[in-house]
Amino acid sequence: MAGIAFGFIVSGMTGTALYFSPAIAAAFQDFGHTIHHQPVVARRPAVGATATPVSAAPAATSTPVTGSSFTVLLLGSDNDAKFATNQVLTQSMILARVDPVSRHVTMISIPRDLDVPLSTGGTDKIDKAYLYGGVDAAISTVEQDFGVHVDHYAWIGLLGLVHLIDQVGGVDVVASNPVLDDFYPQDLSGSHPYLYERVAVLPGPQHMDGMEALQYVRSRHDDLRSDFGRSFRQQQVLLALRAKAKLLGLADLPDIANAMSGQFSTDMSLGEVGQLLPIAGNVSLTNVQQVVLLPPYTAGQTINNQDVLVPNWDLILPLVHKYFPAT
Amino acid sequence: MRRRLAFVTALLVAWAAFGFGVNRLLESRKSNLTEARSTVAPPQEAPVFSLPGTIWVSQGGHLYRLHGGQFTDVRLPTAPGTWIQPAVAGGGRLLAVARAAEYSDVYLIDASGTPHQLTRNATTTSHVEFNAWSYWPHLAADGTTVIFAYDGPKIGTFEVHLAVWSGPLNGKLESTQWTSPSQYTGGDVAPVPLPDGGVIYASYSINSNEQIVSQIANVARPGATPALLTAASDDCNAPAVSPDGSELAVICTSDTQTARLEVIPLVKGVPGPPRVLVPSCLCASPAFSPDGASLLYLAPSDASGHFQLWWIDRVTAATPAAPRALTARLDLDATSPPAWAPA
Repeated sequence: MAGIAFGFIVSGMTGTALYFSPAIAAAFQDFGHTIHHQPVVARRPAVGATATPVSAAPAATSTPVTGSSFTVLLLGSDNDAKFATNQVLTQSMILARVDPVSRHVTMISIPRDLDVPLSTGGTDKIDKAYLYGGVDAAISTVEQDFGVHVDHYAWIGLLGLVHLIDQVGGVDVVASNPVLDDFYPQDLSGSHPYLYERVAVLPGPQHMDGMEALQYVRSRHDDLRSDFGRSFRQQQVLLALRAKAKLLGLADLPDIANAMSGQFSTDMSLGEVGQLLPIAGNVSLTNVQQVVLLPPYTAGQTINNQDVLVPNWDLILPLVHKYFPAT
Repeated sequence: MRRRLAFVTALLVAWAAFGFGVNRLLESRKSNLTEARSTVAPPQEAPVFSLPGTIWVSQGGHLYRLHGGQFTDVRLPTAPGTWIQPAVAGGGRLLAVARAAEYSDVYLIDASGTPHQLTRNATTTSHVEFNAWSYWPHLAADGTTVIFAYDGPKIGTFEVHLAVWSGPLNGKLESTQWTSPSQYTGGDVAPVPLPDGGVIYASYSINSNEQIVSQIANVARPGATPALLTAASDDCNAPAVSPDGSELAVICTSDTQTARLEVIPLVKGVPGPPRVLVPSCLCASPAFSPDGASLLYLAPSDASGHFQLWWIDRVTAATPAAPRALTARLDLDATSPPAWAPA
């Protein structure tokens, strides 16, 4: 009898394993990456001065996602045909502080054109940190410049975002204005990554599929606020995804893992992400603090023929440390 | 021996069935958000109740006609693009927009259902930026002028903004520019002609917090200074005007991700105190009934987020109103206000 029962247990486990096989594969491929925190160096080195470490990197232990508050760096990249694999710019960087107990979330969008000392050396736009040194460099650059410790990260590519949104059945967004762009990159829909296409996202409440949502969060040419406008819209879509998270369950993980395969990576385990879903879904909109580093926190300048945003650290750091513990 | 073989075979089948059953059980526990509520084409939907007159809506790039409690496909040719934003043009005719990948054109659809192209926004050059968008066409009270939003002519910069334009139904539609929109905001959209010849529209601008917000504006004639009817902090858009011009319905979001449906009385163009019909919703694109007494709008009815048709009887009754969902399984285009003609 015991043998027969054991057979049923084995067959049940086999059925379960087959069901979760995409998620299991993703768990090895996309989840559980290790963050290699680099030594924190002095922020804003004087011209000609050598940046010096001011403290050792915090131990590479991460705060569990269900315990006390933790900090996660959300990265979005145009991992398109313009770049080699894993050598991409981060078009979106959002530093988020999550308090699972009080269910408060604070999101600070870091402008991609912010001119900062990079952890890989030199000063450049912060979106190049990932290009030069991958996710570790992006995290270390944020840690050294903003004086925070990043517990976790999640990186998603353009197609990953499109597939994720389609997988959850689209997102419900109030498009805050007509988003019109005559020079929207045709890298996902065309044959040549440097060609352009026209997009028009009409204003008002609407249900967006993945490609429409991507156009909404990615377009920036016809927005006086340029990257700032895009940051506002990215946070809107992130919150819309949060609303869908509350409808997801464990059984949805294989489809989501399949949809985002190769377009997503995180240091969190699949189990931790699964634990985060209900937390994200239960965060009330009123408990979400959204911050975009508009002027006077930043100022536009042209440096080395590049349009950059120069940070006003005297204003930025107190703001950041109001929500994120300083290292 | 044979019995033993049969037992083992049965056991193997039972184990396999159990494993398969567990697998299918897990499959059944999925939220199925993608297929949520299995949306259907309007002709497959039986409206919960019947409304007088004829109503046109857009779903999946097709226009559908609701009459006598039944939806039918208007069956327009698909070559020009996806069909959106129908508007009543009298005599059984419609104005509508056919949207292609990089441009959109206004069409007049005659009583026999044949579309006639009124704008030609596709560029003949290889430069995609010289295409143009036309949206939200409406026939003015004079019955011969079309009011619409248009983003041309191009000035060769990154800037693309919609402005309110008008032109004769039987001539060049892009004849007269009515408004000068704020730069790099998306511009002036959703124009609605008034019985007195003026136009109400949603005007986007950037506020002191660097947020792009919308205000409802009333412009008496082309080039005139517009009168703002709502505050920037209310962030209102999608205006609809009752046929006699005495009521204005708007969607206001106060720069948040939730909306409210308001009705504002208009006395000689001057707004009265707003009345909130639906206080918290993802509502969009209101449209008055031909007699101005009731209101249609679009909003999801469940977490799937697919927009349905909702109806509010007696717009002037006590607030909040008691909206009734007319449909449950559609996936209507939320940026296409319904068009409602008398029977």
